[in-house]
Amino acid sequence: MAERPLSPHLSVYRMHRYTLLTSILNRITGLVLAAGLLLLVYWLMAAASGPLAYARAQAVLGLWVCKAVFLALLAAFSYHLCAGVRHLVWDSGRGLEREQSRLSAYAVLGASVVLFVGLACWMFQRGAL
Amino acid sequence: MTEFRLPAHSRIHTGVTHAAPEGAHDVRRVRIYRFDPDSGENPRIDTFELEASECGQMVLDALIRIKSTRDATLTFRRSCREGICGSCAMNINGVNRLACITSVHDLGAQIRIYPLPHLPVVKDLVPDLTTFYAQYASVKPWLTTQTPAPPDAERLQSKAEQEKIDRPAACILCACCSTACPSYWWNSDRYLGPAALLAAYRWIIDSRDEATGERLDALEDPFKLYRCHTIMNCTDVCPKDLNPAKAIAEIKKMLVQRQS
Repeated sequence: MAERPLSPHLSVYRMHRYTLLTSILNRITGLVLAAGLLLLVYWLMAAASGPLAYARAQAVLGLWVCKAVFLALLAAFSYHLCAGVRHLVWDSGRGLEREQSRLSAYAVLGASVVLFVGLACWMFQRGAL
Repeated sequence: MTEFRLPAHSRIHTGVTHAAPEGAHDVRRVRIYRFDPDSGENPRIDTFELEASECGQMVLDALIRIKSTRDATLTFRRSCREGICGSCAMNINGVNRLACITSVHDLGAQIRIYPLPHLPVVKDLVPDLTTFYAQYASVKPWLTTQTPAPPDAERLQSKAEQEKIDRPAACILCACCSTACPSYWWNSDRYLGPAALLAAYRWIIDSRDEATGERLDALEDPFKLYRCHTIMNCTDVCPKDLNPAKAIAEIKKMLVQRQS
């Protein structure tokens, strides 16, 4: 008799369900933010190394590529924060009914877009972007 | 272990198409996962084209129709045909559900049927649920007491106490929830999964049970309980409208509360 095959999982499960989508986005944005910390470390190290290194870091981070990366990090931050609040509410035992969690999935997506746009506009106005 | 690709012997090959009868005009294409343990071949997808009127009401009716008129070797579990036995749980159009209470007419012209995800397949749509049942048994799903029972009566509950266990006790162990859970896919050897944890919760909150502490002790483990990351797929798919995710959250809360 042949060895039993493993039934398909990721390849057949409907991934765009609100449950899976919000969960995997939370993971991905968490990873992106962790990677983004490297930029912060670079900037801090430059600041600690002296005026010349700091001026160079300012120039590098001012490039449009870096600004685009920063915008992406801001989007990841906005989503991760909102999704984190949703998890915090869940951990208190609230909002776990099917309909509630479906609505909160859309609420989180909406709130993170608003937060992202708000933060980006604010930073743009202050000349940080 | 998190392994996204199927192992080589599990990858799906193309199968055969059983064409619709002559003159059919409203055709439903039912694509079904097939695995024959005696052939030594990889699983395949067979396509059965049915006239819509042939399908019957529910996906289970269509499967029975295919088995009796097209291919008698098609293998699946079924029994009550009314959503109470939990035998015919399978992955239909990407979501785990019971074939007997899923209407064919809600699914469109393409119906894709796979066994419950991430389980060893015995044959066709029949997965091996040995681990799943062992996990259920491991939470000791029975009343445990030290005090002797009243001599002439049952151990009585108030109405409110009964209502607490009413919903969790309605689980039919169809395994839709556990096999919809990505955490269970990657860690089913150590994570108990939503169905077993819902059963554990049902006995933890039972007013007659006297082993609450031991039950909580048994779950205080990085894997058995805490692999739940509140993805909510379990509650999303439960065909009985139960809420394993909430039960797990309540168990986590009880574990924290008893520390203070």
